[in-house]
Amino acid sequence: MVLGTDEFIPLAQAQVSARGLPSLPVVTVPHPIGGIPASLVAAKAEAIVERVLRALTENPDASRAAAGGAGPSMEAPGDIEEFQTWLMEQGWGDGLPAIPPTRERVARMLSGTRRRPDDIAAILVPRLGRASVEAIAANAVMAGAGPSISRSFSPPSKPWPIRVQSAGDPDHDAPLLAPRHRQRTHHPASRHPRRRQCAGAGSPRQCRDRPRPPADPAERGGARPGKEDRATHGHPGKYSYCMAENETASPWEPLSVERGFAAGESTVTVCGSEAPHNINDHASTTPANIVTTVASVMATVGSNNIYLGGEPLVVLGPEHAATAASSGWSKDDFRCQVWEQSAVPLASFAQENIGRFATIFPEGFKDRPPGAVARVARDWRDIMVVVAGGAGKHSALIPTFGATRSVTRRITDEQKEGGR
Amino acid sequence: MHIVDPASSSAAAAKTLAPRPASLQGVTIALLDNSKPNASVLLERVGELLTARGGARAVRVWGKPGSSIGASVAVLEEIAAVARVALTASAD
Repeated sequence: MVLGTDEFIPLAQAQVSARGLPSLPVVTVPHPIGGIPASLVAAKAEAIVERVLRALTENPDASRAAAGGAGPSMEAPGDIEEFQTWLMEQGWGDGLPAIPPTRERVARMLSGTRRRPDDIAAILVPRLGRASVEAIAANAVMAGAGPSISRSFSPPSKPWPIRVQSAGDPDHDAPLLAPRHRQRTHHPASRHPRRRQCAGAGSPRQCRDRPRPPADPAERGGARPGKEDRATHGHPGKYSYCMAENETASPWEPLSVERGFAAGESTVTVCGSEAPHNINDHASTTPANIVTTVASVMATVGSNNIYLGGEPLVVLGPEHAATAASSGWSKDDFRCQVWEQSAVPLASFAQENIGRFATIFPEGFKDRPPGAVARVARDWRDIMVVVAGGAGKHSALIPTFGATRSVTRRITDEQKEGGR
Repeated sequence: MHIVDPASSSAAAAKTLAPRPASLQGVTIALLDNSKPNASVLLERVGELLTARGGARAVRVWGKPGSSIGASVAVLEEIAAVARVALTASAD
């Protein structure tokens, strides 16, 4: 059986249903249990012990079936305003106007792919929803991506199934993480001006034309904000957040080539990320000084990465990248230096956090000598570096959510490799 | 208006839960700590109370390396071999 706090009951129920155990007992105490004295936690335990005892000794009601969906098609209001209201009542969409995914519109969207409509591109958490190609097409229609947009995706035709595939990759992240933080780094369609600008100046039009990522975490994965999605805060990583590497302006190889893909091969990298944080440096003229600025933004006590590990992403603007490479530094040189300098003295951490982190990452926090530091990644190779954006003296830090690892996959040219 | 459902069924097939013991008398209880602060406090206090009120024979504690990381197969198999019932916690 599962114990939890009442704030997390929708997520717990979604998880037990998704895993085929809808009758698994879940007993809750009032939120929270973290950050309060142990005596109060113990009192909460005493208040539920009789319920726990019953849950452990009485066979649960097996008649509670796993929650299922409505099936492949459904009725919705024909009036466009009423449709928006209805959509929100279902807990779907992101609040922006959505196009009804009629059978005709979905068919047009599917005309750009050779994959079968019933192909399952991914299983998405927390509901373990089946992301069929047809359902992803329905989400793409809702997001406003019309057939002309699908044509612009060739030859890396229709990257959206690939994105979803990457997002559902078992290497990507832990089940509870995915609905909270997700971000797509898109490469190398950087010759496409709209995509290049995703990491530069943006506009609603560009946002839509990417397309706005179908709200898969909500629709397909069942991560509805305030219900199964228990993130403390919402942020762009949960909605519309992708970028292309600006390879033509980069002094270094792109991330995909680092990871063994051929130069020029289109790939997509998915990582569980926070929103980007601006790194402002208008004065530095040497690689070392750029490193100083970047590393200082990364080295913070409240970072997820500093005790959980993961792969923080540094997005260098082309001008900062040029400065960083100006004395012959490779990308690895830059990463090593950033890692070396992104150090926080353990004396800067609250003792409660040192105690907690020591159980999670003992090598970094347990019984360390005076003067010891914590670094923002476990290894310098864990710091991801890409070059993106346009003119200007800005870069960005995109922290990742702890122990998650990014996944890079090749975008298949379906016209050549076929589906059906 | 007829639309394509953007959210169809879950992938999971329903599974059957193991039958529950009639009482905790003589039973070993497994606690699976998810490593969140105070999860162990809540679990261990519940374990103590179950031992006192339900007559459980023993309480044993296992841990996960992080709250967003699943328990290892080895840990789950050990729990299944050792304990008759198991409790875990998930919250902040």
